Amino acid sequence: MYGGGNVFEAMKATALADEDPKKLAEFEARIDRGEKIEPTDWMPQLYRKQLIRMIEQHAHSEIIGALPEGTWITRAPGFKRKLALMAKVQDEVGHAQLLYAAAETLGKPREQMIDDLISGKSKYSNIFNYPAFTWADSCFISWLVDAGAIVNQLANSKGSYGPYCRALERICAEESFHLKYGHHCVIHLATGTKKQREMMQAAVNRWWAPMMHFFGPSDKISVHSEILMKWKVKMASNDECRQQFLDMYVPKIWELGLTIPDDKLRKNTETGLWEYTEPDWDEFKRVINGDGPCNKERLAVRRIAEERGKWVREALLAPKAKYVTPLA
Amino acid sequence: MLQSLDPRVNRLGLPNEFDTPMPSKEALDQFETYEAFVQVKEGKPFEHVGIVHAPNEEMAFLFAKEQYSRRGMFCNSLCVVKTENIKVSPYSENDIDIYDSFSGKYSGSTSESFEVFHLTKRGKQHKYEGNVLAKDYDDAILAAKESFPRDKAIMNVWIVKSEDIYVSDEEDRDIWDTLKEKKYRDAIDYKASDKIKAFKEEQA
Amino acid sequence: MNTEALKELIYKMADDLLILGHRNSEWTGMGPLLEEDIAFSSMAQDKVGQSWQLYKILHTLGENDPDTVAFMRNADQFHNAQLCELPNGEYDFSLIRHFLFDTAELLKYQMLANSSYTDLANLAKKVKGEAKYHSMHAKIWIKQLGSATPESIERLQQSLDVALPYALGMFEKSPYEKEIIDEGLFGGEEVLMEAWKAEVEKIISDTKLILPDWSTIAPVYGGRKGVHTKHLQPLLDEMSEVFKVDPTADW
Repeated sequence: MYGGGNVFEAMKATALADEDPKKLAEFEARIDRGEKIEPTDWMPQLYRKQLIRMIEQHAHSEIIGALPEGTWITRAPGFKRKLALMAKVQDEVGHAQLLYAAAETLGKPREQMIDDLISGKSKYSNIFNYPAFTWADSCFISWLVDAGAIVNQLANSKGSYGPYCRALERICAEESFHLKYGHHCVIHLATGTKKQREMMQAAVNRWWAPMMHFFGPSDKISVHSEILMKWKVKMASNDECRQQFLDMYVPKIWELGLTIPDDKLRKNTETGLWEYTEPDWDEFKRVINGDGPCNKERLAVRRIAEERGKWVREALLAPKAKYVTPLA
Repeated sequence: MLQSLDPRVNRLGLPNEFDTPMPSKEALDQFETYEAFVQVKEGKPFEHVGIVHAPNEEMAFLFAKEQYSRRGMFCNSLCVVKTENIKVSPYSENDIDIYDSFSGKYSGSTSESFEVFHLTKRGKQHKYEGNVLAKDYDDAILAAKESFPRDKAIMNVWIVKSEDIYVSDEEDRDIWDTLKEKKYRDAIDYKASDKIKAFKEEQA
Repeated sequence: MNTEALKELIYKMADDLLILGHRNSEWTGMGPLLEEDIAFSSMAQDKVGQSWQLYKILHTLGENDPDTVAFMRNADQFHNAQLCELPNGEYDFSLIRHFLFDTAELLKYQMLANSSYTDLANLAKKVKGEAKYHSMHAKIWIKQLGSATPESIERLQQSLDVALPYALGMFEKSPYEKEIIDEGLFGGEEVLMEAWKAEVEKIISDTKLILPDWSTIAPVYGGRKGVHTKHLQPLLDEMSEVFKVDPTADW
């Protein structure tokens, strides 16, 4: 699961000056024809760099995203929930594996990506820096954070880079189980006992602001990404994804008798767009830069997992092994 | 000690602060690369599904099984090949058959057995085409050019020595026979529209 | 048919699988390698899934429904071997336990495929593939880490030494042992243990690990009768934390 809160680097005007204009034209023509770019194809450095950054962030978001939900993996109530949550968190780890592999085809080995995650050099979806206080928080994540991720991933799966699209196709197929499972959990809480309803409402109250942040800063203040749109790296703007999410899910939240903590939230019948209180983008920036409630814990857990697994990996490494980039 | 809401994390005994940054990973800390191929049904060709990193082919097989066929009903058989053992042709453009770029004559040698995978469309995945006998990789591609009739252009070819393929044993096929009660992994098992309907009626 | 004997037999299996599956699930997202993380989680799910099916069989024999049985009992009502409830420790211990347990599990299912109690025989046949895969996974890991570096060999050896007495505790005899064998429900703990010992010996002999003489290992019994280590009750409290908020609620 993952949001559109990508951190794209601001691009320099000279970024394409060094590229061979003929090759660049062929590359762009291929994308215009709707063909996929494959790892061995010529591509501008900027395309490679931004894709690595984006896919890597996506992969990190999956592996870190396994942690807030994992908070409840040993406490899921009843067999069906227990098994489903185990399978779901497992899927998130599986998605990380697929995405790291897609990023590797662009030339960055997984070791380096994990290093950059743990050192804080590369980012992951901001929403996972918030804690899952109760079982209901895990249900919110399974349903709505995954729903947000699907909006974004479905858009990206129509992008231009072959290996990323193929990974996303697999991922989206599995997300349909996550989404249904999460919705099922939320329905049971929201239509359940008084205590269950209260738990669920409290979770919605806690998670709404991070959920609005999830799609990234408003287009008004985002880094310009026209060229990334043209190259089909970025497929939909942050605000487009946010609107789509609100349109699909706010009615489903309301029909369960849950309230959303934003008194300005409404659909403008004239524009067809949702209106809402502008999210606090300063908080978004502060959290993504390390100052959220769980940043430290998330990275510490990842680091300890790597360190505790080191002897296992060292023991198994064949002396003559050599690294080869995945083919496709 | 760092306090977490996750009891599992509390059991790890994490420090509040680390004294030093984590040392960078050594090259190959995440192991070598293996390409995995899945056969979804008896009689269907093996198709490339992705990679795993693993220290050896036995483990690559275990890992690929869980990564690419844990929803077991879609797998009949699986094989893995170390990526470095796959010989990759160039990619062709504009519907030109990539075999056209290989001139020369197949030696007719039967000294070594090779497996051939074809990619027919950009963006899709490689599929198993068949087996050829030849003296080396270059010869194998010529043998493949002669052996496999093509009604459309092949974009890209992978050639692998048969001995470099690690495939599940026929007798172990039952490892994909799992309990049917795995519906908790399927979206279809989560219907709750009745509950919503009942709730709405109660509210009305 | 002696129903009490049958129920005891099934409870032991179901509790083993639930508790060990639960323990193994704690690794999800924290394994030594992404790929192994995924593999280990599948096996945890298989185990919890198998225990669910066994509790369903118990339900047909008059016991409470599976969720109530699994989430509402206290430690002294559990019949799992103590091996299953021990904390995960580091990966060496989790792997050794997985190896010792799943080697027995595969053999047990093979024996149960001929059980005179059809429901159990059918289940044993259905999960044969899963059990085979778990045992295959364990064997490959133990063979490799058990012969790799001095550190990996030492770690596995230490974990093996700690786990073996508890592993022998899996084969604690039932008060109904004779009835169980005579009625053809199950071939009995003695037969299972001997087959298990042979298999463990065979695999360990392919490694640099040392298997102590069986006669020097004192089995840790008690789990089958509801006597547990201090680790089980906290595990159960954690597992049922949400369920017990309202056991009658639909979660």
